[in-house]
Amino acid sequence: MIQLFHVTKHYEGCIALSDLTLRVEKGECVLITGPSGAGKTTLLKLIFGAEFPDDGQILVQNRNIARLRSTDIPFLRRTMGFVLQDFKLLPHKTVYENVELPLIIRGLSSFDAKRKVSESLRAVGMDHKRATNTSVLSAGEQQRVCIARAVVNSPIILLADEPTGNLDPELTYEITELFKAINARGTTVMLATHNRQVVEQINGRMIKLDCGRLLTDQGTIS
Amino acid sequence: MKRLMYLLREAMRGLRINRANTIIGIITTAFTIASFGVFLLLYHNVRTITGSLQDQIQVIIYLDDAITNQDKSALELALKKETHIESHTFLSKEEALQDFHQQFPEEAYLLEGIGDNPLPASFIVTIAPAPQASSHVSTLATQVKTLSGVEHVRYSQDWVERVTLFSSYLEIGALSVGIILSLASVTIISNTVRLAFLARREEIEILRLIGATGTFIAIPYLIEGAVLGALGGGLSLGLLRGGFEIVRDNIRDLSWVGGVQASINFFPIQMSVMLVMAGLILGCAGSALSVYGWMKIRT
Repeated sequence: MIQLFHVTKHYEGCIALSDLTLRVEKGECVLITGPSGAGKTTLLKLIFGAEFPDDGQILVQNRNIARLRSTDIPFLRRTMGFVLQDFKLLPHKTVYENVELPLIIRGLSSFDAKRKVSESLRAVGMDHKRATNTSVLSAGEQQRVCIARAVVNSPIILLADEPTGNLDPELTYEITELFKAINARGTTVMLATHNRQVVEQINGRMIKLDCGRLLTDQGTIS
Repeated sequence: MKRLMYLLREAMRGLRINRANTIIGIITTAFTIASFGVFLLLYHNVRTITGSLQDQIQVIIYLDDAITNQDKSALELALKKETHIESHTFLSKEEALQDFHQQFPEEAYLLEGIGDNPLPASFIVTIAPAPQASSHVSTLATQVKTLSGVEHVRYSQDWVERVTLFSSYLEIGALSVGIILSLASVTIISNTVRLAFLARREEIEILRLIGATGTFIAIPYLIEGAVLGALGGGLSLGLLRGGFEIVRDNIRDLSWVGGVQASINFFPIQMSVMLVMAGLILGCAGSALSVYGWMKIRT
């Protein structure tokens, strides 16, 4: 599903990732942990095609990211979902419109889009707020909408970068449960976090990075 | 269909939320296109007037009183052979006198006491309307002058040529001004759209995040540019029409240009539509320049 071979990435002389080799199988739930600046976000950005490696190869669904043309990147992204700490929702649009957007981009019919958006909103418990403007939602609600938008396209891979960074423990629990549910449906989930609560709650494969290097890669934590 | 509606809605929203920039962009574009329009309008009218003058070019060949029938027939044959001539009419001495009395009844005394009819017989030649009619006139006059029995050839070529020359200078002027002002319009619209683009930078990042292609992101901005350009073109048309009416009203009071007022016209509908379309195309070009330039940097 996702393979990294000796991947190195620099930012203006600073090493973000160094000689990283990794393999993630279909349906896995992988937690990426480590302190700030460890390279968690860079790793997700490389998989997402937002950055290109300076060295090494990245295969996502058997496609070499480094060799993709810039015009192919959007089509790769349509097979993935991305959840960020700062939600990245369009504030002038309603919950429904935000979740519908990836389907409009794909050119889905109104009928299919309506059905898929409703399914996604129900899955994250936000169907009752579909007509609400996202700017008036709480942080937890915004993150739910962000997750609904990420999964509305039925992605093969879901990437999340500190999705609970702005949430209190109670909301963190709820959001983490959503990720577990999405993974249980067969979606490969890669979640970057340094939240201990999330790590314990998911109890999956954990990859620990430090200064861009792979420190540990273990199946489950005790 | 839903995608198209979304793109149109986004373009309209862009114009609405950047209202101040949009209005400034439309007004500046309108004045820029109107400046070019002034030249175009002037050129259009000078060309129309020149065209109508060239359609009316006549050459009068005055004949010697002592011309023989043979020479007259030879001259008539030469005129018949000339392809640039539309028609020719023979005016005898008697007809010329009759004509003079009819045209100038109050000046008839001028011919009294001169004795016999002093007016010569003549051929009145009408040149076929053509873009180069004035040059045909000069060739014809030179040829005819050498023929036996021809006393004098008169034609109004000199000032027709001057108007034609002025028209061609104006054409070059309009073209040069058009190119310069088109570039100015493209720059104005490009900057307006760039501001809109920068204002919605985060929104564009979100669209990229969820798999939008560059074209999907660019289309609303291209529509914005096109609308901005077309509205600027439309407004420039209004400005030109207003200015045209004022100039035409003022011309009415000037005796030395009497008659010109009836000959000058505003752009025909096709040219008006073309001016708006030019605004639209320039708007689209300005927008594309800005959007694709920005996206190239960000890719």
